[in-house]
This record gives sequence, C-alpha cells and structure tokens, in this order.
Amino acid sequence: MNKFLASLSLVLLPAFALAQTAAWNDIKGELKEALEAKGDPTRGKAAFVPCEGCHRADAAGRPSGAYPRLSGQHMRVLVKQITDIRAGRRSVSKMEPFIDDHVLTPFDIADIAVYVHSLPVPNTNAKGPGTTLVRGKQLYDKDCATCHGAKGEGDAAKFYPMIAAQHYRYLLREVTFIRDGDRRNSNPDMVKAIVGYNAADLEAVSDFMAQLAPLPR
Amino acid sequence: MKHHFFGTKLVAALALGMALATQALAEDAQTIVTTVCAACHGADGNSMIPMFPKIAGLQESYIVKQLRDFQTGRRKSDIMAPVVAALKPEDMAPLAAYFSQQKMTTGEAVEKKLTGIGKLVFFDGNEETGVPACVGCHRPVGEGFQIYPRIGGQHAQYVAQQLKNFASAERTNDVSRFMRVVAKRMSEEEIQSVADYLVSLGSK
Repeated sequence: MNKFLASLSLVLLPAFALAQTAAWNDIKGELKEALEAKGDPTRGKAAFVPCEGCHRADAAGRPSGAYPRLSGQHMRVLVKQITDIRAGRRSVSKMEPFIDDHVLTPFDIADIAVYVHSLPVPNTNAKGPGTTLVRGKQLYDKDCATCHGAKGEGDAAKFYPMIAAQHYRYLLREVTFIRDGDRRNSNPDMVKAIVGYNAADLEAVSDFMAQLAPLPR
Repeated sequence: MKHHFFGTKLVAALALGMALATQALAEDAQTIVTTVCAACHGADGNSMIPMFPKIAGLQESYIVKQLRDFQTGRRKSDIMAPVVAALKPEDMAPLAAYFSQQKMTTGEAVEKKLTGIGKLVFFDGNEETGVPACVGCHRPVGEGFQIYPRIGGQHAQYVAQQLKNFASAERTNDVSRFMRVVAKRMSEEEIQSVADYLVSLGSK
C-alpha cells in the first residue's frame, strides 16, 4: 500500500508542480498566436456572425446580463477570454460549440477581437439599483481601482478588462464566480482582494461599476 | 424484400426511376431540374409540398454541400439518397447555381400565438437555456449568410422536422455541431413556433 502511495505521489507531485507553475496570464499556445496575429476588422465582422445570436450585432450583450457587452473591450482581453473558455480554463457552457477550435482559428480570434474592440460603446448598459453607490465606490477605490482603473478602463497589457459600461447582472455574476473560485481563470490577486466580500458587498461594487460611463475613444 | 412502397418510399422510388432515366437521356442541368428535382421541389425550387423543402434562393455552396452529403451518406434521407446516387459531381454546381438564383416565396403566417413566441426565438433566442437568436447566423429576414442557409419563407413542417432531427442527432451534417447543439436546447414549443414564424419571413 505504501508502495502504491509512493508511486501515486510520484505521478501526482509533478502534476501539482506543473499546475502551480501555470500562471493565470501565461502567454503561450494559441493565446500567443492570436495575440501576435494582425487582426483584420473586415474579416472579423464576418467571423463575428455566429456570436451575434447571443451578443447581438452591435456586441452590446443583453441587459439581463446573460451575455456580456463586448463592444469596446480591449483586444487582448477578448483574445484571452475566448482562448481560455475554449481551452476549458473558464467554463461558459452556452458558448460551446460556437468558439471551438475547428470553428475559429487563432487568426479568426484576432480578427474578431479587432472588430469588436472597434465597435461603439453607447451608455446603454443595464444599471444596478443605484442604492449602494457610496458603499460601492468605497470598495471599488480600495480593492479594484488599482488594476481596473479609477474609471473602469482596465489595462490591456495586463489582461485586466474594461468594466465600465458593462451590464450590472453580468458584473454581479462574474464577481461572485471570481470570489468563489468558480471563474477559475481569474487573477489570484483578485480572488484574494474580494474573498471577504459578502453578497451585499458584491452587489454594491457591481452597482457602482455598472454606472461607470463609457470611456472616450 | 420490403413492401412499404407508399408515401415517401413511393416518391423515392419514382424519383430514383427518374434519376436513372435522366442520366441516360440528357446531361444538362435544366433537364435534371425538370425531370428529377421539380416533382418534389417545384420547377423553380419552391416546393408545394410542406414536407419537402423549398430550395429556391438557398446559397449555392449550401446546395452543393447538401447534395454531396446526401450522396456520401453524411446526410441521411431515404428519399434523397437514391435520387442523388446517379448525380455526377459536375452536375451539382449548375443545379445549385440554378436554384440559388430563384426566389424563395413566402407564405402566410400560421398561428398568431405560436408565431409570437417564434418571433422571440428568432430575434432573442432563449437566454435561460442558451438558445442563440436565429437572426445571428441566419440574418434579419432569414436570408442566410455564407454557410448558414436561407430559412425565411421555408415550410414550417420541414423546418420543424429538421430541428427535431438535429436535436436527436438523426441529422448530423451541420458544421461544427452548431444546429445539433442549438436544437437540443430548444423546447418543442420553441421549435414549432419558430418554424411557423419563418413561413412568412423573407423579402416579399
């Protein structure tokens, strides 16, 4: 039995070690390929067609939050999320099979990212209740602004998404997933930052984020 | 030897006969249209029989793909398999070109209550179950786009049957499993409703 455990640990230990070295933001494989590809907005418009059934033709997503707004999002963020989702690093079952690797090449992903990033961001996202904005701003300034920016602009280089003008319910769903470790591809620092948030905190910070205005382009 | 030569099987048998006769008679596409396709799909591709699809105005590449898939068995049909068995690859493109240039007719909307739901499905899908809106790929009046076929104006009976076939994986020649996944997420009511809605959709 001890022998069995020993051999088991021989198999498992390297696996754990590997899992630990794979950072949430490693640039390799098709993420690297797509980031290095020169995207073309005209090709991207055509490649985006199968996405429109959920995210809408203007990539504004749905006010219910079922599908996020994508328009204006940083290209690097879009590329990372698409490649993470289809590699299984983030679970979004409704997107399967529409972004499978036999549907989109890394070049298609680059094209889509350029196109979607170029789309306008009207101030039409669904807002939260607006009742906890003061508390929300306190939390945001303390825990979120360093990375996502005072105006919710994000940071393309670091894969931090723009969160301004995003739908309230989508923000609330994702911060909850991130706090609980269910989003899986998040920056561990963000999980640490909000792990102590209760439901009211998550609602307050989402309420505040959803009313951040679209940024000038 | 089975003796089920009624209904669809009879049609299949007739079509097979015509297909074989056609090959011996003439090779040009128009003759094939008249003697083979027209019986079920109509001379201009607007079938009058609800179980047979309208093929007028479908994308050329879509028609060629379906013909090939029927021939190779990737798309299973007791009716189409014998019809296309004798079809030469070089005949497929002219046939597809002819039918794609015809105009798909639209019909009268069927039941109001059902088509109300159908319109929602077409333009919004179902956020709860992850049914994408049809309009995404099939475009605003169901005119289709690239690999996504025209569906605006199509017979409800045919559309509903195909959605059910996709859902049960009886039909598997959809690119990347898109329609198998979509149809599986749809309720029976959504399938019937959207099929009814499509009848009156399209460019008038």
